[in-house]
Amino acid sequence: MPIIETHGLSKSFKSIVAVEDLTLAVEAGQVLGFLGPNGAGKTTTIRMLAGMIAPTGGYATVAGIRTDREVERVHEHIGLLTETPGFYSRLSARHNLEFFAGFYPAVDSRTAVEKYLKKMGLWERRNDKVGTFSKGMKQRLAITRAMLHEPGVLFLDEPTAGLDPEAAGEVRELIRGLSKEGRTIFLSTHNLNEAELLCDRIAVIHTRLLALDTAEQLRRRFFRRQIVVRLETPEPRVVEAVRKLPFVEDLQEDGNQLILELTDPESNRPALVKAIVEAGGGVISVSEKQYPLEDVYLRLIHEEGGNDA
Amino acid sequence: MTRKRIKNVLFKEWRLLFTDLNSGLLVTLLPLLIILKGILYIWLASKFGGDTMLTMTVFQTALAKITQAMPGIARLPGNEQLLVLLLSQFNFFLLLIPTMVAINAATFSIVDEKLTGSLEALLATPVRTWELLVGKALAGAIPALVITWISAGFFLLVTLLLGWGHLFGFVVNATWFLNLFLVTTAVAMLSFILGVIGSSRAKDAKSAQNVVLVIIFPVMALIGIQVTGIVWFTPLLTIALGVGIGIIDALTLRLAVSLFQRESILVQWR
Repeated sequence: MPIIETHGLSKSFKSIVAVEDLTLAVEAGQVLGFLGPNGAGKTTTIRMLAGMIAPTGGYATVAGIRTDREVERVHEHIGLLTETPGFYSRLSARHNLEFFAGFYPAVDSRTAVEKYLKKMGLWERRNDKVGTFSKGMKQRLAITRAMLHEPGVLFLDEPTAGLDPEAAGEVRELIRGLSKEGRTIFLSTHNLNEAELLCDRIAVIHTRLLALDTAEQLRRRFFRRQIVVRLETPEPRVVEAVRKLPFVEDLQEDGNQLILELTDPESNRPALVKAIVEAGGGVISVSEKQYPLEDVYLRLIHEEGGNDA
Repeated sequence: MTRKRIKNVLFKEWRLLFTDLNSGLLVTLLPLLIILKGILYIWLASKFGGDTMLTMTVFQTALAKITQAMPGIARLPGNEQLLVLLLSQFNFFLLLIPTMVAINAATFSIVDEKLTGSLEALLATPVRTWELLVGKALAGAIPALVITWISAGFFLLVTLLLGWGHLFGFVVNATWFLNLFLVTTAVAMLSFILGVIGSSRAKDAKSAQNVVLVIIFPVMALIGIQVTGIVWFTPLLTIALGVGIGIIDALTLRLAVSLFQRESILVQWR
């Protein structure tokens, strides 16, 4: 059963349309990557889902609760990581977290803060002012804050933006851990590798929803599966033998590589290798060509930005 | 839960207030300077103005009103009559303390949260708008009140040291105490609610401070209408004033909640 649902969700600021007719569903326990260029409506969507701003059209539910009607109840069910960590720099990490935890009815602030500071590896720095923390530590602290009331749904708005690779890696590990705990995560990001690493499905938005699928399915939407065979030497008789195979639909030569489109890439591979060897060719490797998600994303944004979802 | 949330906001604000040297000095030193400055003016007026100031129409009207309320004043020498008249303004002069503290403290209460990004995280919790605003207003109003009362004690001490203790019977009366504990409390709350409104409506700290500056005008008007003798505040009138401002407090809080547009604060401020 979906834990997040939007139905024709739209938001306009006067004449500017930020989000238009967004309909999607996220199952409980899933990690959904939410991709889009700057100004595509990612933060606006998260704010609507978190009950922070009201839609101008359609509606959304989180854990079955309308986000535009029962805002306080929604807030008890969600954790939100905002674009900026947003802490009181003159207060210690512990005092900051205890303050935010203090608004939730079922939370024992001290216990929750101790548990999560230890879990996130920040316990030793609990009495230090947040102003002395590095960007990465602040981000970890912000994720800690979002977790204090044990929400089932987490909205993470660009959690690794502006972090160095090491800090970003730590944050990704944290997100992976939260996902393993069965939490539903709505992850807005510009980082396509991150989306692919962490997310079960990916939504691409550019005011309107352009696509929603697994990374693999999105690739197949634009690119056919291609097999790459690395040969010892690209001899003409080997290439000719391969071209004659009935299941080879397309063949391109690229140095000592053959790039092939096969009828059934899984079952045709043994026959393909056999044919090459019988023609006197030497096979170094056979692999599937990997198109970066970035290619898919750019095609979606540029080619489908104004068309269908 | 509501009380817990308000307390939560209150203690956080206090932690922030007292970890900031500027704010701490503002809350503690500014009121004492206001008092000293007021006493200095009174001392100068009584020393060098003396009886001649009492011949001014504006003071004659006020003196007539105060003599009507306390006939014993007529038996005092002219410069002491002037002293009683001026020292009696101090109960309204003290109202400047919570308003001045509000202008400086409440002004930044929302603007700062927005600028540091903590407001969005705060608004993502189940806190209600009115709980947040009451917490913020109380966090400023309570220290402002305490420092006002300390300042009142400081005022009495200095006037005693200046040898004016024999005039306390005319100055430190029922009106004085009603003003100090009832009117000042109501004004402190009003100042901070207005301060928070200004802070939540302005788009940056500078314009917030400009908006909040208007709080000071009604207080100046109160001082003005008493010193010019338009109205002399008797105990009954002071109670009415305190209750009236208390009602305005409640209405202003409702207004503050309705003016606190979470969406525009989040979306429009940059």
